[in-house]
Order: sequence, then structure tokens, then C-alpha cells
Amino acid sequence: MIAALLFAGVLAISLGGVLSAFRSAFRSALWLQAAGAGGLAVVGFVVLWSGDVLGAGFTSSFVPRLGVDGLTGFFLGVLGVVAAPVLVYSVGYLEPTSAGRAVAALMSVFLLVMVEVLCARDPVTFLGGWELMTLVPAVMILVARSADSESRGAVFTYVAVTHLGGIGTWVAILLLADAGAIGAPSAVTSGSTVQAVVAVAALIGMGTKAGVMPLHVWLPRAHPIAPAPVSALMSGVMIKVAIYGLVRVLVEWVGVLPVWFGVLVLAVGMLSALGGVVYALFQHDLKRLLALHSIENIGIIVLGLGACLLLRARGADSWAAFALAAALLHTLNHAVFKSLLFLGAGSFQRSVGSLALDRLGGLLRRMPWTGIAFLVGAMAIAGLPPLNGFASEWLTLQALVHVPMSGGVGDGLFGAVALAALAATAALAVLCFVKVVGLVLLGPPRRTASAEAIETPVEMRGAVALLAGSCVVLGLAPGLLFAALVSVAPWHAAAPRTVGLHLPGTGSLPTLGIALVLVGGTAALALLRGRVAAAAAPTWACGQPLEPALSWTSAGFTKPIRLVLESILRPEREITTRSDGGVHQEVAYAGRVPHLIDERLYRPAARISLLTAAHARKLQSGSLGTYIGYLIGLVVALLLAVRTGLIG
Amino acid sequence: MTAVNAASSIAALVGGLALAPLLPGLVQHWKARLQGRRGPSPLQPYRELRRLWRKSAVTVTETSLVYRLAPACVAAGLFAAVLLVPATSAALDLGVGHDALALLGLLAMARFALAAASWDVANGFSLMGASRDLSISVFTEVTLVLSLAVAALVAGTTDLRGIIAATAGTGAWSSPALALGGVAFAFVVVAETGRQPVDNPDTHLELTMIHEGPLLEYAGRDLALLQWAAAARHWIVLTLAAIVFLPHAANPYWQLAQLPIAIVALCAALAAIETVFAKMRLLLVPRMMSVAAGIALLGIAAQLVWTA
Repeated sequence: MIAALLFAGVLAISLGGVLSAFRSAFRSALWLQAAGAGGLAVVGFVVLWSGDVLGAGFTSSFVPRLGVDGLTGFFLGVLGVVAAPVLVYSVGYLEPTSAGRAVAALMSVFLLVMVEVLCARDPVTFLGGWELMTLVPAVMILVARSADSESRGAVFTYVAVTHLGGIGTWVAILLLADAGAIGAPSAVTSGSTVQAVVAVAALIGMGTKAGVMPLHVWLPRAHPIAPAPVSALMSGVMIKVAIYGLVRVLVEWVGVLPVWFGVLVLAVGMLSALGGVVYALFQHDLKRLLALHSIENIGIIVLGLGACLLLRARGADSWAAFALAAALLHTLNHAVFKSLLFLGAGSFQRSVGSLALDRLGGLLRRMPWTGIAFLVGAMAIAGLPPLNGFASEWLTLQALVHVPMSGGVGDGLFGAVALAALAATAALAVLCFVKVVGLVLLGPPRRTASAEAIETPVEMRGAVALLAGSCVVLGLAPGLLFAALVSVAPWHAAAPRTVGLHLPGTGSLPTLGIALVLVGGTAALALLRGRVAAAAAPTWACGQPLEPALSWTSAGFTKPIRLVLESILRPEREITTRSDGGVHQEVAYAGRVPHLIDERLYRPAARISLLTAAHARKLQSGSLGTYIGYLIGLVVALLLAVRTGLIG
Repeated sequence: MTAVNAASSIAALVGGLALAPLLPGLVQHWKARLQGRRGPSPLQPYRELRRLWRKSAVTVTETSLVYRLAPACVAAGLFAAVLLVPATSAALDLGVGHDALALLGLLAMARFALAAASWDVANGFSLMGASRDLSISVFTEVTLVLSLAVAALVAGTTDLRGIIAATAGTGAWSSPALALGGVAFAFVVVAETGRQPVDNPDTHLELTMIHEGPLLEYAGRDLALLQWAAAARHWIVLTLAAIVFLPHAANPYWQLAQLPIAIVALCAALAAIETVFAKMRLLLVPRMMSVAAGIALLGIAAQLVWTA
């Protein structure tokens, strides 16, 4: 029954993909794809809940096999929950032009490839799907942007970095297959060199794909330039599939990892969480800001994963499973609110024509549906109760508090530092999303384009409303899903199946009660306040009229943080004045916060590799004599090596 | 449910809802005395709330729902926090649990609502205050979470009732952890209540305001709700300081008797700090809070070494 639904879903997505290449069937083809994605979500969550296993089990042999277990089911659920609204949104967003039809068809390929990675039960299928998953969005970006120079540059960086980093994935999976450890964790001994190599390679390879710092460099380039639905799928699902790979390898296949590796994962998570949110603060383009927030949230997920590994190494199995479930729950939550925010940004771009933060404003009143949904998404990503981001951030905080409770001195202290980093991340996310909400939705419109914005078609509104509804539902009843996720852990652990989160060692989080007090309290107090009003007056600005040119900007709002972090961030500013006869005629200001990892790590690395390439090119002289010389040299070297016993 | 359970919960509710405005009143009163002035009566905040509640409000034109709902939202968030912080180790669950880390989310929500309202009215002074408040809150939140983590580590749980029970008596003070956590929490108290040297509650100069800034465009009942919320913030952090980081008895009845004394003493301490210190430069506040966070981290290290 469930297997049949899975096939039907996959079939609907494939058929929808083929049909969307035809102009006449374009809209219904996208609806068909959306229905297929919805079916996959149902399949995924049913498998997760019931604990059944479909299809084959894991094998280290190179024979293609497919199957679905609890963890795959959960990620299929994530994929479906995000992809269905995204495809519905695309019905209104994509035009049936040749580029639009190509993107619609490629979206189905993209989804199928990700389903392949999730359902793969052998190394070949997994690695094949993994590579395709990188390439398909690159093609989509190039098709949608008709390969202009900006998108070509970004796509080149994306493909280059993910392929270089992707070597780690190949090393990890092939070593595991060689050891016969795929699906059989006892094949790798704890503390062995193989285990360490596999774990580090997986962290590099899959971490690159997930966008953890300092391997994230492609993400803020590639995500913003894609069309809104593709950005939503990339940020919402693709980087989550990389998390799936990390969980499979680090938690399931390599056995119990040593303490130092848990500390390493925590460090990577901290860097991503803090680095992502700090650089997001200083962005002036909404989609780029959202892309950097994906790095932050991947960091939070990786912090949960690191806590899981540390707690497991220390033998606290029950909290290790809770930490894993916290990371997985945040994966789903981030998928939901980040795709919501990307789709909302797409709607604003459609209605206003720009995503420069300082040129929007007042859109909540012009576009109430999209605006309220975007507000819900922003509050969810800022980790505010009673929405879903709060529940999973609370769980991750709890997991990190329990690291010092059950660890040694050094790793315990490191857990406390990670806890502080997560708290700072949450507070910075509040700062950042207040700014986004304020600049985009609230206040007077800053430009005529945003004063005249009109609400989007019903499909686009419906899709964002659906995702906002998911944020609310997941925030109200996280406990039901959490209990199922705890049992995904390969060791025995269980959490009570309640609506809220009632875990031992915590004061419990009765999400429904908190939501009731917050919403009911707000409503009651708003009623109690009544409508006692004297007169309406414009905002007081020292008696001056409020001009759009005087309104606060993104840079102004984040200035205190920029000044505090000046010694770390090294912001650049340039003020040029033109004076004439002692009177200033013109003042020009330019300021930016350079991305330090780009400037200090990647730029030198790129320069050195170009330099090395230039030197290597000298070998290629083009004259036949030189090449014969190389050949003779090689033969002599090989003969010498054989003679001395180095080879052969 | 026994009498002591009910008494604890009633104490938290009555204290948080009705007695909270007395706390800033007491601080102002004693501060005036220490400075050689007669000063307002400790009941002055109640009079102001009554006056504001009767007044009609000037509302800002061209605003959205966010501006209108923000005061109710802030007050509801603080109300939930009042329900969350127990008065004794025997408090009843009032529907929101008693988790120390959940408190962070509730306070952040109140902050978000008020800052969003500042963007809605687009008043430069409000936004300046909101921007500063949120920037400082980054560092305050780190210190808050670390000092609560010290207590949680001592108790082995983040349940505030469990923490109160575990830090009772003299046993928990045998390691320096709790004392270090308490020192760090003192900085949180000063920052969260918006008092000198972090913020000056008496200021009427818009350029120096932090917490008062976002309130500028509110009047009447809206302002009354926001002022109650500020008072409730005093109640929450001072109660936490009194029941977790000050020595207390293990018996809930004794805890209940001790609580008002400890809170009044803490108000006096706040008045003294306000008198002795001048407001510090805004950009030095993060540095001060980082030192406090370092002290809390030291507390965690001490506890880990002690139990290892």
C-alpha cells in the first residue's frame, strides 16, 4: 500500500516533469508534480511513524538497490513537505516560456535525483545521485538566467567547490564499502584510523554540500541567483540531503566516534552558526541574506549532531538520541521556514522589482497574505515561541547543556562554549530578522514601486500560507514528531509521545500551554486595551515631516554590532567629500563588511593555484623533443623504482 | 496538591502581576534617598499606571497591526515568563513549564515585538533604542544562558524547581561554581532591568535612551502595558537571583518567607549600584557582559573540575 503510494508519487513527479515541457500542459503538469511530492511526504512520515522498512537493506556491494527506512522516510517527508508548496508556487511564478518550461522539467529531475540519494541502499546509486544532485541545480540556474556572466561565475564557483569538496564524500563512502561497513557498523572498529579518515572525509565532503563554514563559499553565491522556487528547493531540501548523508555516515555507519571528533563537529557547527548570522546581518540583498542564514541554521543542525556524537562517546545514549532528534527536527523546521522565506522573497521581487532591503518597506499592508506568512517565517527562523524554530532551538540548547552534565572537563567546557555560541546566534538572528521584517514589511514604503506593489496570484499566496501553517503546526506539536525521531537512532532510546516536549532533565516545554498563554494573553490584553484613542497623529520626528530619505537603513540598524565586532570583522568604509570654497558640496559614503573567509582563505588559495597552473603550463612547450624527453625520463624513473624495489 | 504548592504558585502570580511595579518604585525611592533627595513614594509606579490607564492614547497614523498589537504581545510574553519562574521548589506547573532555557525564548519574543513596532512607526529615536537594545541583548543572552547553565550543572536539570531544590542549603556552595554563576547573573540583572551602568531609566534625552526609546510613540493604555512589562522584568530577574543564586532554605515555606526579604534587599543593592556608577559608554557594555560571560564559564569549569 505504502510502496504503491511511493511509486505513484515518483511516477507523478516524472510524468509531471515530462508534461511540463509542453506549453499546453504546463500548469497541470506542475500541479501533478506537486501532488507527487505530497504523496512522497505522506509515504515518508508514515514509514517514520510505523517504523516499517520498505525494499532492500543496505549493502556494501556495488549492486544497485533501493529501499526506505525510518531516516530515509523522514527526509522524504522533508522533501515532500517543502517541494509540494514550492511546486504549487511555481504554477503562479514560472511563465511557460522556453526557460520556464525547462526549469519546471528540471525541477522534477532534481526532485527525483534527491529521492534517489535518499532511497539508495548501495554505494553506486548513492554516489551517482550525489553527483547529479550537484549538477542539476547548476543547469537550472544557467537556464533560468540565460547564462549571463554573473550566474556563470557563481555556478562555476558552486560546481568547482562542491566537486572538490565532494571528493571527501567519495573517499568516505568507498572506504566504508571497502570495509563492508555500509549497513553493518560493527565492521569499523572504534578509534581506528579508518574510522577517523572516514569521519573526517565525510565531514569535509558532505559538509561542503551542506554549506558548513569554512566550506560554504559557494552557497551565498549560488542560492540567491536561482529563481525563487529553485532557491527554496536548494536551501530547503538539497543541503538537507547532505545532512542526511552526514547522519548516515557519522551516526550509523562508523560506530561510536572518539571524543575529539565530537568536539571538531561542535567547532564546525559554532563557526557556521555564528559566522552565518553575523555576515547575514550586513547584507543589503534579501536573498543573499537568506542564503547566509541557511549557513547559520546548518550550523545549528551540526551543533545538535556534534552534541549527539559527544554524548554517545560519553555513553549518555538517551540524550545522544535526543540530540540527534533535535538536529533532525531543526532540519525539518529550517526546510519549512527557509523555503517559505525564499518564496516570500520571490513574491516581493515579482511585485516590487527589487530585493535591495533599503528600497522596500510597507509591504505588509500592500500584500497582506504574503506579508503575514513572511512575518510568521521570520519569527520562526528567529526562534520565537510559539513557532517551530523555537522548539528545535530549545532542544538543541538542551542537548548542549547536557554535554557538560555527562562529559569530561575539556569537552564539557567546550559544550558550554557551544551553548553560549548558540545563545548568541539566536539573539543575533532576532536582531537580523527584526531588521528584515522592518525594512521589508513595516513602516512607510521607501520607494514608489513598493507603495504600488500588488498581491500575488492565488497559487503563490496559497503556497506561502501553507508553509506558514506548517510553521505553526510544527511549533504547537513538536513532541509527536520528536518521539518518532528519537527512535530513528541506531541504538535503543525512547521519548514519551506527547504533544509538547517533556524530557527527563529539563523543565519541559509544553508548547500548547505556552502558545495558549501567548496568543490568548495578547488577544485578551488587546481587548482590554479597547479602542480608547484621542487622535491619530503622524510619527514624531522633532517636528519635521518624516521623509523617506531620512528613514533608517539596514546599515544603520546593525551599526552597534558592527562597531562592537570591528576588530574581528574589519569593516571598510570610505567617505569622500567634495568641497568648494570651504563649503562641502557633496558627500559620498561607501561601506562594506568583507567576507573574511573569502578574502583570507579562498582568494589566496585561488591565487596560488592559478600561479601553480601558470608554472605547470611551462611543461607544455609544444615541441615534440621535450615530450620525448619526458617519456624517456618517466621510463628511466620507473626502471629505477623497480630496480630499488619501490614498486613491482 | 498541598497547601505549600498552592501558596508558591499564588506567590508567583501575585508577586509577578501585582507587586512587580513596587520593585522599580522601591529602587527609585531608595536611589533618591541615597542621593539626598526626598524622591517619589515607592507607590509612584502604581499611580502612573492608573493615570495612563485612564488616558486616551495618541496613535500613529499609517501603521499596521504590528504597532497596535506589540504592547499586548510584550505584556503577554512577560506574563508567560512570570508564570514560568517559580517562587519556590514546590511550585505548581502553571501550563508553561518551569524550564530555565524556555525563558530565553519568551524574553526574545517580547524584544522582537517591540523592535518590530519601532520599525513600524519608523521613528528614528525608537529605532536607535531598539537597535541598541537588541545589540546588547546578544551579550546579555549569552551571560544569562551561561549563568543558568552553571546552576543547571549543579542541579543536573534545567527545571527551575529542581535547581532551587539542589541549590538550597549549604551543600551546593562547597564548590565556587554557584558563586561565580551568581556574580555573572548580577550583570544580567543590571542589563535586563535597564539600570545604570547599562542604561539610565531616568533619562529624558532621546539620544541616550535604550529601553525607553521604543516606547516613545506609545501613550495611554499601551504605555501602561509596556511599563508593567518593564516592572515584570524586574520581578523575573530578581526572583531568579533570589531563589537560585542567593543562599536559601530547603523547606518551601522558608523559601516563601525568604523571597520577599531577598528581593527587597536586591532592590536596595540596585539602588546603591545606580548611585555609585555612572552610565557607561554604549560600546563598553558588550565588553562588560563578555567579562561576565567569562566568569560564568569559569563557574562551569569549576563545577566540572569539582565533580570530576
